[in-house]
Amino acid sequence: MFNAKIIGLTIAGLAAFAPPALAKENGERIAVTGEAIDTWCYYSGVMGGPDAVQGTAHHTCALWCSAGGIPVGLLAEDGTVYMVLKIENDDTSNGGDTQLSIASHVITADGMYYARDGINYLVVSKVVADQGIINLTHEDYGPVPGFAIPEPKQ
Amino acid sequence: MRHTVLTGIIIACAFSTPLMAQDFSKGSTAKSWDLYAEQKATFKAKVVDPLCTLAGDCPANCGDGHRQLALLRMDDNVMILPLKNSQAAFTGGANELQPFCAQDVEVDGLLLEDPDLNAKNLYMVQKIRLIGDTKWTKANRKTKDWATANPSVKGKGPWFRRDPRINTDIAENGYLGLGLKTDEAFIKEWFE
Repeated sequence: MFNAKIIGLTIAGLAAFAPPALAKENGERIAVTGEAIDTWCYYSGVMGGPDAVQGTAHHTCALWCSAGGIPVGLLAEDGTVYMVLKIENDDTSNGGDTQLSIASHVITADGMYYARDGINYLVVSKVVADQGIINLTHEDYGPVPGFAIPEPKQ
Repeated sequence: MRHTVLTGIIIACAFSTPLMAQDFSKGSTAKSWDLYAEQKATFKAKVVDPLCTLAGDCPANCGDGHRQLALLRMDDNVMILPLKNSQAAFTGGANELQPFCAQDVEVDGLLLEDPDLNAKNLYMVQKIRLIGDTKWTKANRKTKDWATANPSVKGKGPWFRRDPRINTDIAENGYLGLGLKTDEAFIKEWFE
């Protein structure tokens, strides 16, 4: 009886301290709305703060990074970023056409969510809605990086 | 009783935060990018296909270069996601890992760990080698792979200025993605 109590407490301790990511390793169906972003510029800060590397200001760079094979993330309204591993039947997450076509778009995706070791992953079953590019960050930041738009020749 | 409870807590902690304090910077010769959240990190890992690992979708040869790949770190079984290779040209890490699909490798590079952005276990791979090899391979093959795949656009200038898909998109939707009319008005104002 006493030993059972101790074992129970130990198991409870293990559960309480266990990484929460493990809970989602088996996948959970979710619907999420967010912007398709370039995750390197977002997380590294190499081009400035996170607000500057979203939307229209960063659209050209988002195309470059997506085509260059940098993982595309879906930045949800609550700030969570989901690494997009597959969209419908297209698993070309390394620079594929489907992911390129949604650069900077705000989409609503239905799919399976997995979390592992602090990173969120999304396997999109269906893009339910595509609002296009609606985050008009160029009004505040101009092009990011500045050379994204070449200066017109005189 | 106290001894048993303490033992339980120690076991719980040992299982809950495996090797949390491990320093992966030891032995790293990674080049700094002066990033806010960078940490040099070298470690041994297996190259894995995360779509396979997480969702059981497992084509041959890790998807033959079409997919993002990850590094399953041997010391603690943590899955590290490379976002970037070593090049300064908007290039990811998947092409660098693809030749090592399902193999045990050693990598060197920069980890990004930024609690403000919930960034964890994200990586820039700068060099890679099979475990046991003495010679490192620089993680800079992406632009060479791009050139091989795009022989029709040989020429001067960086790849991202010559890439046909990118140029088609910009020609249709503009640099801001809002259409050519909006682009034209913005460019006129911006460069005035």
